[in-house]
Amino acid sequence: MSRRTLVVGEVRQGHLADVSLEAAGRAIELTEPTAVVGFVAGSGAEAAAGEFARVGIADVRWTDAGSGSDASAGRIAPTVAALAREIEADLVIVGGTTFGRDLAGALAIRWDAVSATGVTDVRREAGAIHVRRPVFGGRATETRRLAGPRVVLALRPHAFAVPSVTPTTVRTSGFAFVEPAPSWREAKLLALEPAAAGGGPALADASIVVSGGRGVRAPENFRLVEELAASLGAAVGASRAVTDAGWRPGTFQVGQTGKAVSPQLYIAVGISGAIQHLVGMVSSRVIVAINSDPSAPIFRVADYGIVGDLFQIVPALTAEIRRVRGP
Amino acid sequence: MEIVVCVKPVPEAETRLRVAADGARLDAEGVKFVLAGYDESAVEQALLLKEAVAGSTVHAIALGPAPRTEEVLRAAVALGCDKASWIEVPSGGSDDPLDAARILAAAIRGLPHDLVLCGKQAGDDESGLVAGALAEALGVPGFGYVVDLRWDAARSRFTFHRAVESGQESWECPGPIVIGLQQAWNDPRTAKLPAILKSRKATITKIAASGAAASVATPEKFELPAPRTGAKMIEYRTPQEAAEKLVRILREDAKVFP
Ligand SMILES: Cc1cc2nc3c(=O)[nH]c(=O)nc-3n(C[C@H](O)[C@H](O)[C@H](O)COP(=O)(O)OP(=O)(O)OC[C@H]3O[C@@H](n4cnc5c(N)ncnc54)[C@H](O)[C@@H]3O)c2cc1C
Repeated sequence: MSRRTLVVGEVRQGHLADVSLEAAGRAIELTEPTAVVGFVAGSGAEAAAGEFARVGIADVRWTDAGSGSDASAGRIAPTVAALAREIEADLVIVGGTTFGRDLAGALAIRWDAVSATGVTDVRREAGAIHVRRPVFGGRATETRRLAGPRVVLALRPHAFAVPSVTPTTVRTSGFAFVEPAPSWREAKLLALEPAAAGGGPALADASIVVSGGRGVRAPENFRLVEELAASLGAAVGASRAVTDAGWRPGTFQVGQTGKAVSPQLYIAVGISGAIQHLVGMVSSRVIVAINSDPSAPIFRVADYGIVGDLFQIVPALTAEIRRVRGP
Repeated sequence: MEIVVCVKPVPEAETRLRVAADGARLDAEGVKFVLAGYDESAVEQALLLKEAVAGSTVHAIALGPAPRTEEVLRAAVALGCDKASWIEVPSGGSDDPLDAARILAAAIRGLPHDLVLCGKQAGDDESGLVAGALAEALGVPGFGYVVDLRWDAARSRFTFHRAVESGQESWECPGPIVIGLQQAWNDPRTAKLPAILKSRKATITKIAASGAAASVATPEKFELPAPRTGAKMIEYRTPQEAAEKLVRILREDAKVFP
């Protein structure tokens, strides 16, 4: 019998994050539903554990991560390693968020595994795992062969679909928290402030991102970008020209020194397409650019382009989207 | 405070990438290697802390082949790092970030360290595995995606923020600790000519590589995307027409929303 795959989920606002369902979906395709075990840690873990049923996973373990303390990746890595050993897993899959990527490194050491992050494709062949992942800011792709016996993968958010399957009944059971190194006792999470105002899904997680650049000209005009984003249910991003000018906080910045995003749709409004911006978004599935300069480099990486004045195009686009999607 | 900052030589951002003859990796021939972007930020952060906490030492450490690794260490010294150590490994050897973390951990164990700083990920392989792996290997708390790292002298602990998907976390933790830095400085210092000249004669301590098992990660293929043919430009007479055409394409062809 093939060995088992462990999917480490993440709880967000009391629910299993989409990236965790994506990871679960890929795990099931690589083995079979009965060989996949789900796991969640932290406050709300027990309730969220049941949500693995949505993707057909029936066996889920959870831990409250040492009552009251946070479930940061490094703190729970020893617990994940212990569970992986107990169920005789040969593969652990996690969504490649900040949590997932921090976990991958710590777990790989603790469980003596090999690991790859940012994975956009994975197959199992001749006893090894083969992964594809973008490198150099999406300017190249590498394929690596990871010979087991233990492999940890962090999947790139939105690279895989959430499977639609008939939900199963799920058996959840507690798993004993394994204490990390004693020095963790003094590490304290003091506060969590929700993502920057403006609403919309968090930038790194969003499936649609609308970003504005210097072409927007003044902070008050950034509203045009935000309205377009709102019409699409998208997150709002910005070029560094915008964040440097203080029109929007640094948390909005996409690019080499900001966030890397890979949504289904990226709309760049009044952004020239400097290399430092491109490395943060070129791996988006579909890229649309709106720019008055037909020679702007952004058009070289975009799939669709509109040459024109954003002050005319963007409001028309927002109105059209509202019209087709209904109020 | 004893600060160890890990740096990695990576191809300059403007490098034209080419595939090596074996089809499995980057052709490094003629490529100029520099301090990885986030590592440059980590060096800046280390130097800012050193300036804030009297009696601090910044020790840059790097793993990699000659001559590029020695060059980035000299660049770190020119920026103001006090010491530099080089773990030389042959070029074309394992490029597995976990091997790198194991070897770095073995070396750092032998050095005084209250804080180990890395960039959150390298600009080439972008694995982001090293900080978490180093922390676990050293048996100390580790955090990636950190910004606003400070030292609270009164309470003898580090304070920092982390930008996570659901918002911004605030943390405190005493050393030793490993930090993967996400911070971007708008104006990191640049080395002055006298410092660059002096760094050429600086002592680079060699440390023998130990701690890594035979890697089980093998590169198979390195591919460059087919050159983008450029955007399909939408022809229009009025902004409304442009909007209608784009929305139709996004719904019907690209299927990005219903
Ligand atoms: C070390 C380093 C790191 C960096 N990191 C980042 C990063 O993480 N992210 C990032 O974004 N940048 C980064 N940069 C900066 C980057 O090099 C560019 O300066 C920046 O991306 C430019 O932002 P922009 O495209 O908004 O502005 P500009 O380059 O000024 O472009 C503005 C665009 O708006 C268009 N425009 C003007 N008016 C209109 C109109 N009415 N309608 C339509 N279009 C209009 C113009 O044609 C132009 O193309 C970094 C730079 C360095 C050196």
